[in-house]
Amino acid sequence: MTRSLLLAVCALSAFGATVSDKPPRASDGHPDLTGVWQGGSTRKGDWEEANSGEGVGGTGKDPKAPANISPTSAQAGREPAPYQPWAAKKVLESFNKRGIDDPAAYCLPPGLPRMAVLGLFPVQIVQTPKQIVILYEYMNAFRVIPVAESAAKAKHHDDMVPTYLGDSVAHWEGNTLVVDMTGFNDKTWLTATGTFHSDKLHMTERYTRVSKDQINYEATMEDPVVLTKPWVVKSTMMLREGTRVQEYVCAENNLDPGRYENLLKQGINFQKQ
Amino acid sequence: MRHLRWLFAAVCCFLLSSAQPVFAHHSFGAEYDADKPVTLSGTVTKIEWTNPHSHFYLDVKDANGNVANWKFEGYPPVVLSRTGWKRDVTLKVGDNITVFGWRSRDGTNWAHARQITVADGHKLYFGPPAGTGDGGAVPAVDPVK
Repeated sequence: MTRSLLLAVCALSAFGATVSDKPPRASDGHPDLTGVWQGGSTRKGDWEEANSGEGVGGTGKDPKAPANISPTSAQAGREPAPYQPWAAKKVLESFNKRGIDDPAAYCLPPGLPRMAVLGLFPVQIVQTPKQIVILYEYMNAFRVIPVAESAAKAKHHDDMVPTYLGDSVAHWEGNTLVVDMTGFNDKTWLTATGTFHSDKLHMTERYTRVSKDQINYEATMEDPVVLTKPWVVKSTMMLREGTRVQEYVCAENNLDPGRYENLLKQGINFQKQ
Repeated sequence: MRHLRWLFAAVCCFLLSSAQPVFAHHSFGAEYDADKPVTLSGTVTKIEWTNPHSHFYLDVKDANGNVANWKFEGYPPVVLSRTGWKRDVTLKVGDNITVFGWRSRDGTNWAHARQITVADGHKLYFGPPAGTGDGGAVPAVDPVK
């Protein structure tokens, strides 16, 4: 009895930090992705704790907290997006125009993986054995994803028309949810400014809940029309307990396209290069 | 020790390379000029809790006593409510506040608000930092030769 207790204490001491941090399992044995998450973050804690300091929507509660990296920051070690030369020119045009042509400025769905990696708005995942629903607060968008028993059985609908978020089907590979996506229109950006794509885009997302607090997210984008090879973007989603996904009706009072038009008419130079 | 240094470097590289852009609804730089910071004090005349951006208006008196009404843009209500703002409590018409932000490119009395200092000295963010959403320092692609 004493020996068992001692063993248990030793085991807990050795794995103490990870025992309580294990990813929870759903009733069917798969990892449970259910929860409200913040993309593009690596910081634990509730929304306010994780976004204090100079970070996203920072409250200034903890001014010493490190800033979340903003899109203005050069990302060390980044892999350049593998665009074909003609397409890279087009991406640069948008960059130099400071993203004035961003579809999201018109309140259109921003597309993927962009909506999964942005940090300003939460994402809710609702998991059932046969369907996974992802609710994006940003632009009030949602995905209903059927979960098949295997990759071979994960079939896309045969009546697809091109859409902003495409058609998603999923299956589990070990502890990773793999989502196959096709049926996109060509009206969204993939992630950063100007990263356009064609309607031949095919994407594979991988969601791995590595701990209670964290999902490792990976998106592989293939587009023979604009890319030279698959483009892989990796990010993390952090659990935000106590946060709820709320209504965000972007078109309510969208003044920006009109202001863009006026600025352009006035010939104001906002070009980067 | 050497291993620890490598581990630290590897962790830093991972954090930096995995960090993703934080987009607001639209590009900061398309409308506002990061080289034109502005700090103004005045009285709140109107607040709009609307999407995709909230706004407030401020009566600002100059040295000669002339009053100009300024409009400031910031986060949508969902973002404000998640970061400590309470509608009709945190900011009210008639409050005297100081706001730091950046002016619109068209030179009108319109600006992007970043930090607000309310009457009791408490500071809150009303909008994201300059440059948010306008593509960052480097493009997603390498420069085309």
